[in-house]
Amino acid sequence: MTAGLALHVNGRATTVPEVPADERLLDTLRWRLGLKGTKEGCRTGDCGACTVLVDGASVLSCLTLAHDVAGGHVTTVEDGDDPDLARVRATFARAGALQCGYCTPGFVVALAGLLKERGRDAPADELLDGLQGNLCRCTGYAAIVRAVRGLAREAP
Amino acid sequence: MAPFELVAPATPEEAVASLRTGPPGSTAVVAGGTDLLLDIEHGRADPARVVSLRRLPWRTLDWNGPVLTVGSTLPLRSLELDPDVRRRHPGLFEAVHAVGSVALRHRATLGGNLGRAAPVSDLVPILLALDAEVELLGPDGTRTIPVDAFVTASRRTAIGPHELIRAVRFPEARPSAYRWQRVRPANDISQIAVAVAFSPTAARWSVAIGGVPPRPVRLPDVAAALGPGAPGDERLRRAAERVGPSVAPVTDRRASVEYRRHLAGTLFARAVRAALPAPPAEGR
Repeated sequence: MTAGLALHVNGRATTVPEVPADERLLDTLRWRLGLKGTKEGCRTGDCGACTVLVDGASVLSCLTLAHDVAGGHVTTVEDGDDPDLARVRATFARAGALQCGYCTPGFVVALAGLLKERGRDAPADELLDGLQGNLCRCTGYAAIVRAVRGLAREAP
Repeated sequence: MAPFELVAPATPEEAVASLRTGPPGSTAVVAGGTDLLLDIEHGRADPARVVSLRRLPWRTLDWNGPVLTVGSTLPLRSLELDPDVRRRHPGLFEAVHAVGSVALRHRATLGGNLGRAAPVSDLVPILLALDAEVELLGPDGTRTIPVDAFVTASRRTAIGPHELIRAVRFPEARPSAYRWQRVRPANDISQIAVAVAFSPTAARWSVAIGGVPPRPVRLPDVAAALGPGAPGDERLRRAAERVGPSVAPVTDRRASVEYRRHLAGTLFARAVRAALPAPPAEGR
Protein backbone atom coordinates (compact mmCIF):
# COMPACT_ATOMS: atom_id res chain seq x y z
CA MET A 1 0.00 0.00 0.00
CA THR A 2 1.37 3.40 -1.00
CA ALA A 3 -0.17 6.84 -0.79
CA GLY A 4 0.73 10.45 -1.42
CA LEU A 5 2.04 12.30 1.61
CA ALA A 6 1.55 16.04 2.18
CA LEU A 7 3.65 17.75 4.81
CA HIS A 8 5.79 20.82 5.41
CA VAL A 9 9.53 20.33 5.30
CA ASN A 10 11.77 23.15 6.48
CA GLY A 11 8.94 25.63 6.00
CA ARG A 12 7.96 24.45 2.51
CA ALA A 13 4.69 22.72 1.66
CA THR A 14 5.78 19.42 0.13
CA THR A 15 3.89 16.57 -1.50
CA VAL A 16 5.65 13.23 -1.81
CA PRO A 17 3.98 10.74 -4.17
CA GLU A 18 3.71 6.99 -3.58
CA VAL A 19 5.07 6.67 -0.06
CA PRO A 20 4.74 3.06 1.22
CA ALA A 21 2.70 2.66 4.40
CA ASP A 22 5.66 1.19 6.29
CA GLU A 23 8.21 3.84 5.26
CA ARG A 24 10.10 5.61 8.03
CA LEU A 25 10.26 9.39 8.04
CA LEU A 26 14.06 9.02 7.96
CA ASP A 27 13.93 7.29 4.57
CA THR A 28 11.43 9.76 3.11
CA LEU A 29 13.70 12.64 4.06
CA ARG A 30 16.93 11.07 2.86
CA TRP A 31 15.91 9.10 -0.21
CA ARG A 32 12.82 10.86 -1.56
CA LEU A 33 13.59 14.46 -0.60
CA GLY A 34 17.39 14.23 -0.77
CA LEU A 35 17.87 15.74 2.68
CA LYS A 36 20.93 13.72 3.66
CA GLY A 37 21.79 15.87 6.66
CA THR A 38 19.61 13.60 8.79
CA LYS A 39 21.74 10.52 9.47
CA GLU A 40 20.93 6.87 9.92
CA GLY A 41 22.99 5.52 12.80
CA CYS A 42 21.42 2.49 14.44
CA ARG A 43 17.88 2.48 13.00
CA THR A 44 16.71 1.16 16.38
CA GLY A 45 16.19 4.37 18.37
CA ASP A 46 19.42 4.04 20.33
CA CYS A 47 21.74 6.69 18.89
CA GLY A 48 19.78 9.89 18.12
CA ALA A 49 21.58 10.55 14.80
CA CYS A 50 18.24 10.63 12.93
CA THR A 51 16.63 13.26 15.20
CA VAL A 52 14.36 15.77 13.43
CA LEU A 53 11.69 18.13 14.72
CA VAL A 54 8.02 17.45 14.08
CA ASP A 55 5.91 20.49 14.94
CA GLY A 56 8.88 21.77 16.92
CA ALA A 57 9.39 18.63 19.05
CA SER A 58 12.36 16.30 18.56
CA VAL A 59 11.54 12.79 17.33
CA LEU A 60 13.56 9.80 16.17
CA SER A 61 12.80 9.69 12.45
CA CYS A 62 13.88 6.03 12.25
CA LEU A 63 11.02 5.05 14.58
CA THR A 64 8.41 7.34 13.04
CA LEU A 65 6.14 6.32 10.17
CA ALA A 66 6.21 9.00 7.46
CA HIS A 67 2.43 8.86 7.14
CA ASP A 68 2.03 9.43 10.88
CA VAL A 69 3.33 13.00 10.48
CA ALA A 70 1.05 13.83 7.53
CA GLY A 71 0.18 17.53 7.56
CA GLY A 72 2.87 18.26 10.14
CA HIS A 73 5.88 20.58 10.04
CA VAL A 74 9.18 18.73 9.81
CA THR A 75 12.44 20.57 10.52
CA THR A 76 15.81 19.06 9.63
CA VAL A 77 19.35 20.28 10.19
CA GLU A 78 19.24 21.85 6.70
CA ASP A 79 16.61 24.43 7.71
CA GLY A 80 18.20 27.81 7.04
CA ASP A 81 15.53 29.96 8.69
CA ASP A 82 15.10 28.45 12.13
CA PRO A 83 16.73 30.81 14.66
CA ASP A 84 17.35 28.10 17.29
CA LEU A 85 19.04 25.83 14.77
CA ALA A 86 21.16 28.75 13.58
CA ARG A 87 22.24 29.56 17.11
CA VAL A 88 23.12 25.96 17.95
CA ARG A 89 25.00 25.47 14.67
CA ALA A 90 27.07 28.59 15.33
CA THR A 91 27.83 27.50 18.90
CA PHE A 92 28.90 24.02 17.79
CA ALA A 93 31.13 25.48 15.10
CA ARG A 94 32.73 27.92 17.54
CA ALA A 95 33.38 25.19 20.11
CA GLY A 96 34.65 22.74 17.48
CA ALA A 97 32.07 20.35 18.88
CA LEU A 98 32.53 17.59 16.35
CA GLN A 99 35.00 14.95 15.30
CA CYS A 100 33.78 12.83 12.39
CA GLY A 101 30.54 14.81 12.32
CA TYR A 102 28.16 11.93 11.82
CA CYS A 103 26.27 12.50 15.10
CA THR A 104 26.35 16.29 14.79
CA PRO A 105 23.03 16.86 12.97
CA GLY A 106 21.25 14.79 15.61
CA PHE A 107 22.85 16.74 18.45
CA VAL A 108 22.16 20.10 16.78
CA VAL A 109 18.51 19.33 16.04
CA ALA A 110 17.86 17.76 19.47
CA LEU A 111 19.39 20.78 21.20
CA ALA A 112 17.41 23.25 19.09
CA GLY A 113 14.27 21.30 20.04
CA LEU A 114 15.15 21.57 23.73
CA LEU A 115 15.59 25.36 23.39
CA LYS A 116 12.14 25.62 21.80
CA GLU A 117 10.54 23.44 24.45
CA ARG A 118 12.30 24.61 27.61
CA GLY A 119 13.10 28.18 26.67
CA ARG A 120 16.25 29.82 25.35
CA ASP A 121 17.48 30.38 28.90
CA ALA A 122 17.10 26.73 29.96
CA PRO A 123 19.87 25.70 32.39
CA ALA A 124 22.84 23.79 30.93
CA ASP A 125 22.20 20.76 33.16
CA GLU A 126 18.69 20.38 31.79
CA LEU A 127 19.97 20.68 28.22
CA LEU A 128 22.66 18.07 28.83
CA ASP A 129 20.13 15.75 30.49
CA GLY A 130 17.95 16.14 27.41
CA LEU A 131 20.83 15.09 25.13
CA GLN A 132 21.42 11.74 26.83
CA GLY A 133 19.77 9.98 23.90
CA ASN A 134 22.41 11.25 21.45
CA LEU A 135 25.54 9.15 21.04
CA CYS A 136 28.93 10.25 19.69
CA ARG A 137 30.84 7.13 18.69
CA CYS A 138 34.04 9.19 18.47
CA THR A 139 33.42 9.91 22.18
CA GLY A 140 33.98 13.58 21.46
CA TYR A 141 31.72 14.62 24.30
CA ALA A 142 34.00 17.15 26.00
CA ALA A 143 33.66 19.71 23.21
CA ILE A 144 29.93 19.03 22.88
CA VAL A 145 29.41 19.62 26.61
CA ARG A 146 31.52 22.78 26.32
CA ALA A 147 29.29 24.00 23.48
CA VAL A 148 26.12 23.35 25.47
CA ARG A 149 27.50 25.13 28.54
CA GLY A 150 28.56 28.04 26.35
CA LEU A 151 25.10 28.19 24.84
CA ALA A 152 23.48 28.35 28.29
CA ARG A 153 25.93 31.06 29.43
CA GLU A 154 25.26 33.31 26.47
CA ALA A 155 21.45 32.83 26.76
CA PRO A 156 19.62 36.01 25.69
CA MET B 1 9.43 -7.03 5.89
CA ALA B 2 6.20 -6.95 3.89
CA PRO B 3 4.52 -3.57 3.62
CA PHE B 4 1.36 -3.33 5.64
CA GLU B 5 -1.88 -1.47 5.18
CA LEU B 6 -2.02 1.62 7.41
CA VAL B 7 -5.31 3.07 8.59
CA ALA B 8 -5.88 6.05 10.88
CA PRO B 9 -9.50 6.10 12.10
CA ALA B 10 -10.91 9.49 13.02
CA THR B 11 -13.13 8.43 15.92
CA PRO B 12 -12.89 5.89 18.77
CA GLU B 13 -15.92 4.03 17.38
CA GLU B 14 -14.30 3.71 13.96
CA ALA B 15 -11.05 2.60 15.58
CA VAL B 16 -12.76 -0.19 17.52
CA ALA B 17 -14.71 -1.23 14.43
CA SER B 18 -11.50 -1.32 12.36
CA LEU B 19 -10.07 -3.99 14.69
CA ARG B 20 -12.68 -6.42 13.32
CA THR B 21 -11.31 -6.23 9.76
CA GLY B 22 -9.05 -9.00 8.55
CA PRO B 23 -8.15 -12.39 10.05
CA PRO B 24 -7.49 -12.55 13.81
CA GLY B 25 -3.93 -11.63 14.76
CA SER B 26 -3.20 -9.85 11.48
CA THR B 27 -3.80 -6.32 12.82
CA ALA B 28 -1.45 -4.35 15.06
CA VAL B 29 -2.36 -1.16 16.91
CA VAL B 30 0.17 1.67 16.95
CA ALA B 31 0.31 4.86 19.00
CA GLY B 32 3.81 6.38 18.98
CA GLY B 33 5.27 3.31 17.27
CA THR B 34 8.62 3.39 19.09
CA ASP B 35 8.31 -0.26 20.18
CA LEU B 36 6.20 -1.78 17.39
CA LEU B 37 8.37 -0.35 14.59
CA LEU B 38 11.44 -1.79 16.30
CA ASP B 39 9.80 -5.24 16.33
CA ILE B 40 8.82 -4.90 12.67
CA GLU B 41 12.36 -3.77 11.79
CA HIS B 42 13.80 -6.85 13.52
CA GLY B 43 11.26 -9.21 11.98
CA ARG B 44 9.61 -10.03 15.31
CA ALA B 45 6.30 -8.63 14.07
CA ASP B 46 4.80 -8.76 10.58
CA PRO B 47 1.29 -7.29 10.68
CA ALA B 48 -0.83 -7.16 7.54
CA ARG B 49 -2.67 -4.11 8.87
CA VAL B 50 -1.66 -1.38 11.27
CA VAL B 51 -4.27 0.79 12.97
CA SER B 52 -2.78 4.14 13.98
CA LEU B 53 -4.44 5.94 16.89
CA ARG B 54 -2.90 9.30 15.98
CA ARG B 55 -6.20 10.99 15.06
CA LEU B 56 -8.09 9.98 18.21
CA PRO B 57 -8.79 12.69 20.83
CA TRP B 58 -6.99 10.78 23.57
CA ARG B 59 -3.94 13.02 24.15
CA THR B 60 -5.48 14.18 27.40
CA LEU B 61 -4.51 14.74 31.00
CA ASP B 62 -7.34 15.38 33.47
CA TRP B 63 -7.57 15.84 37.22
CA ASN B 64 -10.86 15.14 38.95
CA GLY B 65 -10.21 15.79 42.63
CA PRO B 66 -7.51 13.28 43.58
CA VAL B 67 -8.00 11.17 40.44
CA LEU B 68 -5.60 11.63 37.52
CA THR B 69 -6.69 10.27 34.14
CA VAL B 70 -4.11 10.08 31.37
CA GLY B 71 -5.32 9.50 27.81
CA SER B 72 -3.60 6.53 26.24
CA THR B 73 -2.04 8.45 23.32
CA LEU B 74 -0.66 11.39 25.30
CA PRO B 75 3.09 11.52 24.54
CA LEU B 76 5.15 10.60 27.60
CA ARG B 77 7.03 13.89 27.31
CA SER B 78 3.78 15.82 27.95
CA LEU B 79 3.18 13.76 31.09
CA GLU B 80 6.76 14.39 32.23
CA LEU B 81 6.57 18.16 31.75
CA ASP B 82 3.24 18.61 33.56
CA PRO B 83 4.03 20.46 36.83
CA ASP B 84 1.08 18.90 38.72
CA VAL B 85 2.13 15.38 37.78
CA ARG B 86 5.65 16.10 39.00
CA ARG B 87 4.37 17.50 42.31
CA ARG B 88 1.58 15.03 43.06
CA HIS B 89 3.07 11.86 41.51
CA PRO B 90 6.85 12.29 41.80
CA GLY B 91 7.47 8.57 41.23
CA LEU B 92 5.48 8.65 38.00
CA PHE B 93 7.52 11.65 36.82
CA GLU B 94 10.76 9.80 37.61
CA ALA B 95 9.65 6.65 35.81
CA VAL B 96 8.50 8.51 32.70
CA HIS B 97 11.78 10.46 32.67
CA ALA B 98 13.62 7.11 32.71
CA VAL B 99 12.04 5.92 29.43
CA GLY B 100 14.25 6.17 26.34
CA SER B 101 15.26 9.72 25.48
CA VAL B 102 13.53 13.08 25.03
CA ALA B 103 13.02 12.43 21.30
CA LEU B 104 11.61 8.99 22.01
CA ARG B 105 9.28 10.35 24.70
CA HIS B 106 7.86 12.88 22.24
CA ARG B 107 6.35 9.89 20.40
CA ALA B 108 6.04 7.10 23.00
CA THR B 109 2.83 6.89 25.02
CA LEU B 110 1.60 5.44 28.30
CA GLY B 111 -1.00 3.35 26.48
CA GLY B 112 1.64 2.00 24.13
CA ASN B 113 4.00 1.06 26.92
CA LEU B 114 1.23 -0.75 28.78
CA GLY B 115 -0.25 -2.41 25.71
CA ARG B 116 3.11 -3.71 24.52
CA ALA B 117 3.78 -5.03 28.07
CA ALA B 118 7.53 -5.35 27.67
CA PRO B 119 8.92 -7.41 30.55
CA VAL B 120 11.41 -4.62 31.21
CA SER B 121 8.89 -1.75 31.05
CA ASP B 122 9.98 1.20 33.17
CA LEU B 123 6.36 2.27 33.63
CA VAL B 124 4.58 -0.88 34.79
CA PRO B 125 6.33 -0.95 38.24
CA ILE B 126 5.19 2.58 39.14
CA LEU B 127 1.70 1.90 37.75
CA LEU B 128 1.53 -1.10 40.10
CA ALA B 129 2.75 0.91 43.09
CA LEU B 130 0.19 3.65 42.38
CA ASP B 131 -2.67 1.11 41.95
CA ALA B 132 -3.35 2.44 38.46
CA GLU B 133 -6.28 1.13 36.45
CA VAL B 134 -6.65 0.65 32.69
CA GLU B 135 -9.75 1.82 30.90
CA LEU B 136 -10.49 -0.30 27.84
CA LEU B 137 -12.87 0.58 25.04
CA GLY B 138 -14.49 -2.26 23.09
CA PRO B 139 -17.55 -2.89 20.93
CA ASP B 140 -19.72 -3.19 24.06
CA GLY B 141 -18.45 -0.05 25.78
CA THR B 142 -15.76 0.47 28.40
CA ARG B 143 -14.43 -1.65 31.21
CA THR B 144 -11.80 -0.85 33.80
CA ILE B 145 -9.31 -3.30 35.27
CA PRO B 146 -6.28 -2.90 37.57
CA VAL B 147 -2.88 -2.82 35.88
CA ASP B 148 -1.91 -5.84 38.00
CA ALA B 149 -4.64 -7.88 36.26
CA PHE B 150 -4.04 -6.28 32.86
CA VAL B 151 -0.39 -7.26 32.43
CA THR B 152 -0.50 -11.05 32.56
CA ALA B 153 3.00 -12.06 31.41
CA SER B 154 5.88 -10.93 29.22
CA ARG B 155 4.28 -9.25 26.19
CA ARG B 156 0.86 -10.56 27.28
CA THR B 157 -2.12 -8.56 28.49
CA ALA B 158 -5.80 -9.14 29.28
CA ILE B 159 -6.92 -6.89 26.42
CA GLY B 160 -9.60 -8.38 24.17
CA PRO B 161 -9.03 -8.76 20.42
CA HIS B 162 -11.39 -5.87 19.66
CA GLU B 163 -10.43 -3.55 22.51
CA LEU B 164 -8.26 -0.45 22.74
CA ILE B 165 -6.60 1.15 25.75
CA ARG B 166 -8.43 4.44 26.17
CA ALA B 167 -6.88 5.79 29.37
CA VAL B 168 -4.95 5.02 32.54
CA ARG B 169 -6.34 6.20 35.84
CA PHE B 170 -4.49 6.94 39.07
CA PRO B 171 -6.82 6.91 42.11
CA GLU B 172 -4.94 9.32 44.38
CA ALA B 173 -1.81 11.43 44.67
CA ARG B 174 0.85 9.59 46.66
CA PRO B 175 4.36 10.30 47.88
CA SER B 176 6.26 7.96 45.56
CA ALA B 177 9.64 7.32 43.99
CA TYR B 178 11.24 5.27 41.20
CA ARG B 179 14.88 4.17 41.32
CA TRP B 180 16.70 2.23 38.61
CA GLN B 181 20.18 1.05 37.64
CA ARG B 182 21.51 0.76 34.10
CA VAL B 183 24.71 0.52 32.12
CA ARG B 184 23.70 3.69 30.23
CA PRO B 185 21.20 6.27 31.53
CA ALA B 186 19.28 6.89 28.28
CA ASN B 187 17.87 4.44 25.73
CA ASP B 188 18.74 1.44 27.87
CA ILE B 189 16.92 -1.15 29.90
CA SER B 190 17.02 -1.14 33.68
CA GLN B 191 18.89 -4.03 35.28
CA ILE B 192 16.57 -3.61 38.25
CA ALA B 193 14.06 -0.87 38.99
CA VAL B 194 12.00 -0.30 42.13
CA ALA B 195 8.84 1.76 42.55
CA VAL B 196 7.43 2.66 45.96
CA ALA B 197 4.39 4.70 46.96
CA PHE B 198 2.64 5.51 50.22
CA SER B 199 -1.13 5.79 50.34
CA PRO B 200 -2.10 8.44 52.90
CA THR B 201 -5.75 7.29 52.89
CA ALA B 202 -5.00 3.60 53.43
CA ALA B 203 -1.87 4.23 55.55
CA ARG B 204 0.09 1.60 53.68
CA TRP B 205 3.05 1.32 51.36
CA SER B 206 3.04 -0.42 48.03
CA VAL B 207 6.19 -1.71 46.37
CA ALA B 208 6.78 -3.06 42.87
CA ILE B 209 9.92 -4.20 41.10
CA GLY B 210 10.95 -4.44 37.44
CA GLY B 211 13.83 -6.28 35.81
CA VAL B 212 12.58 -9.67 37.00
CA PRO B 213 10.98 -12.08 34.50
CA PRO B 214 8.35 -12.59 33.30
CA ARG B 215 6.89 -9.18 34.30
CA PRO B 216 7.17 -6.48 36.97
CA VAL B 217 5.59 -7.65 40.23
CA ARG B 218 4.30 -6.24 43.49
CA LEU B 219 6.06 -7.14 46.73
CA PRO B 220 3.26 -7.05 49.33
CA ASP B 221 5.30 -8.64 52.13
CA VAL B 222 8.05 -6.06 51.73
CA ALA B 223 5.46 -3.27 51.68
CA ALA B 224 3.85 -4.60 54.86
CA ALA B 225 7.25 -4.71 56.55
CA LEU B 226 7.52 -0.93 56.12
CA GLY B 227 4.60 -0.48 58.51
CA PRO B 228 1.77 2.07 58.38
CA GLY B 229 3.84 5.25 58.04
CA ALA B 230 7.35 6.64 57.74
CA PRO B 231 9.69 3.79 58.72
CA GLY B 232 12.68 4.35 60.97
CA ASP B 233 16.15 3.28 59.90
CA GLU B 234 15.92 -0.14 61.52
CA ARG B 235 12.53 -0.97 60.05
CA LEU B 236 13.67 0.18 56.60
CA ARG B 237 16.82 -1.96 56.87
CA ARG B 238 14.79 -5.04 57.81
CA ALA B 239 12.33 -4.44 54.96
CA ALA B 240 15.20 -3.95 52.50
CA GLU B 241 16.70 -7.31 53.56
CA ARG B 242 13.51 -9.03 52.45
CA VAL B 243 13.58 -7.60 48.90
CA GLY B 244 16.36 -9.71 47.36
CA PRO B 245 15.00 -13.08 48.60
CA SER B 246 11.46 -12.09 47.47
CA VAL B 247 12.36 -11.85 43.78
CA ALA B 248 13.60 -14.32 41.17
CA PRO B 249 15.89 -12.40 38.81
CA VAL B 250 18.01 -14.12 36.18
CA THR B 251 21.52 -13.69 34.81
CA ASP B 252 21.75 -12.16 31.35
CA ARG B 253 24.16 -9.92 29.46
CA ARG B 254 23.03 -6.89 31.48
CA ALA B 255 23.65 -8.25 34.99
CA SER B 256 24.10 -11.36 37.11
CA VAL B 257 21.42 -12.75 39.39
CA GLU B 258 23.56 -11.90 42.45
CA TYR B 259 24.04 -8.29 41.38
CA ARG B 260 20.33 -7.95 40.65
CA ARG B 261 19.37 -9.23 44.13
CA HIS B 262 21.81 -6.78 45.68
CA LEU B 263 20.47 -3.92 43.54
CA ALA B 264 16.89 -4.77 44.48
CA GLY B 265 17.46 -4.12 48.18
CA THR B 266 19.65 -1.08 47.64
CA LEU B 267 17.32 0.62 45.16
CA PHE B 268 14.34 -0.19 47.37
CA ALA B 269 15.89 1.60 50.37
CA ARG B 270 16.84 4.58 48.22
CA ALA B 271 13.33 4.77 46.78
CA VAL B 272 11.67 4.71 50.21
CA ARG B 273 14.01 7.46 51.48
CA ALA B 274 13.30 9.53 48.35
CA ALA B 275 9.54 9.13 48.78
CA LEU B 276 9.70 10.36 52.38
CA PRO B 277 9.38 14.14 52.36
CA ALA B 278 10.31 14.55 56.02
CA PRO B 279 12.87 12.81 58.26
CA PRO B 280 11.57 9.46 59.57
CA ALA B 281 8.96 10.02 62.29
CA GLU B 282 9.50 6.69 64.02
CA GLY B 283 12.50 6.14 66.33
CA ARG B 284 14.99 3.31 65.88
